[in-house]
Amino acid sequence: MTASSAVDEFEFFLEKEWSDGFPVVTPTENRVQWMLTGAKRAPNELVGAIPPAMEPATVRTVAIHALMAGCKPEYLPVVLGGVQQIIRDEFNMGGVQCTMHGVAPLMIVNGPYAKTIGLHGGNGCFGPGFRANASIGRAIRLMLLNLGGGISGRASATVFSSPLRYTACIAENIADSPWESLAESRGYAPHDNVITCAMAENPRLHFDDVSTEPERLLTGIGDAMTAPGSWNMWFVSDMVIAMSPQHAKLCADAGLSRADVVKRLSELAVRPQWSVKRGGNWRPERARAMGLDPDDDDAVIKAVKDPQRLHLIVAGGTGPITAVCHGWNETSHAVHGTYDV
Amino acid sequence: MTNELGFIDPTAGGNRATVAMAPRPMDLAGKVVGLLDNTKEQADVILETIGQALRNRYGVAKVIIRRKEAFSRPATEALLNEMAKEVQVAAAALGG
Repeated sequence: MTASSAVDEFEFFLEKEWSDGFPVVTPTENRVQWMLTGAKRAPNELVGAIPPAMEPATVRTVAIHALMAGCKPEYLPVVLGGVQQIIRDEFNMGGVQCTMHGVAPLMIVNGPYAKTIGLHGGNGCFGPGFRANASIGRAIRLMLLNLGGGISGRASATVFSSPLRYTACIAENIADSPWESLAESRGYAPHDNVITCAMAENPRLHFDDVSTEPERLLTGIGDAMTAPGSWNMWFVSDMVIAMSPQHAKLCADAGLSRADVVKRLSELAVRPQWSVKRGGNWRPERARAMGLDPDDDDAVIKAVKDPQRLHLIVAGGTGPITAVCHGWNETSHAVHGTYDV
Repeated sequence: MTNELGFIDPTAGGNRATVAMAPRPMDLAGKVVGLLDNTKEQADVILETIGQALRNRYGVAKVIIRRKEAFSRPATEALLNEMAKEVQVAAAALGG
C-alpha cells in the first residue's frame, strides 16, 4: 500500500484544520490550474493580506480556497472581488476576526455577472441549495480561517459565532424588486458588477402577513431593528434589511421609493431610553457617548443613526417576511466597489 | 507548496509563524509598568486601581497608562513604540 492510498484526502484536510469542519475539494495542482482559468490576473499577483494573521492572499491562494470551497472557475472573479472589499481598512475585518461578537461579512452582489453565474437572491437565498452563494461565501470564510487565523478559541474570541460564518453571499431579487438595486442607489450603473459587504448578524425573520399599508409594516420592522442587546442601539453601525418582494411591493404600491423606506425605517426604529435600560447593553457611559442624558428616560435611542448605514435590499421569495440583520460596532463601515470579470 | 501526497497546503506556509512570549519578570520592584487601556467602559477605573496596587504591594516605581484609539482595532505602532521606550513591563488590559 502506498502512502497516498493509505490517506483519505477528505480526512487529511479535516485533521490539518484546513477546513470549516466540512470536507473540502482537495486542492491538487491540476485542479488549481483549472480554477485559475477563471481569473484574468497573474497567479502570483498579491490581492492582499488577511487579518489578523496577515498571511498574503495571492490570486493563486484565492483560487486554492475557491476550489476547496466548491466554486466553479467562473465564480473566481467574485471571490477575488470579495477579498478586495473585506480587507479594506474601514471594514475592520481584523476586529471582527477577533471580537466576542458573531457578525459575518455579508456579501451582496449586484450587476449582470451575478446573474450569469447563478448567484441567487430569491426563494431561500440565505440558505442551502445554491452553489454560487454557498461556495463563494465559503471561499471567503476558508481564507479568514486559513490565512487570517480567525479560528474560534484562538485568534477569535467569538462567544457563539454564527451560521452565517459558514457562508454569507447573496444577490438581490432584482427581477421581483420594484426598486433600483442597492448598487444603483449608491450611484453605480445597472451594468456595473458591484459587491457590497456589511457586517451582519444572522437574519431575524420578521413575519407580517397582516399589514396592508406601509406605515404598519415599517413600524413592525422598526421594532425588530431595535432589540435591546443589539450594538446598533449604541453604535453608529451598519444594518442590513432584506425585504421580500411582497413587502417591498406593498411599500412601492403606496408610492414609496427605496430611499423613502430607508428614511421612514430610520425614523421608526427607535425606543425611549427607559425601555432599553431594563436590560441589555445600556450603560450611562454609552448614553453620554451618544450625547444623551442617562437620566432622561424619554430620550430617544435610534437604531439607525445614519441612514447611509442602513442597507435595504429586496431578496427572498414569495411571502410576507422581511429579514433584519443587526450589525456590529462603529469601527466597521460597510464597503462597496466594482469587480472585474 | 505541495506535499508528498500531491495535495496543496492552502495556508501557503502560513499558520506556522509564531511570536515568542516575552520573558516574564520575576520581580516588579523598581520597574516602570505600562498598562494599555483598550477603551472599553471602566477600563480606566480598573487600571487605576491595579496601578495603585502594583505600586503599593509590589514596589513598582511608576505606572504609565496609555489608551488605544478603539477596542476593536490594534494599538498603533507609534503608541506601542512609545510604550516600549518608556516601560519595562507592559500589560494589555480590558474594561467592560
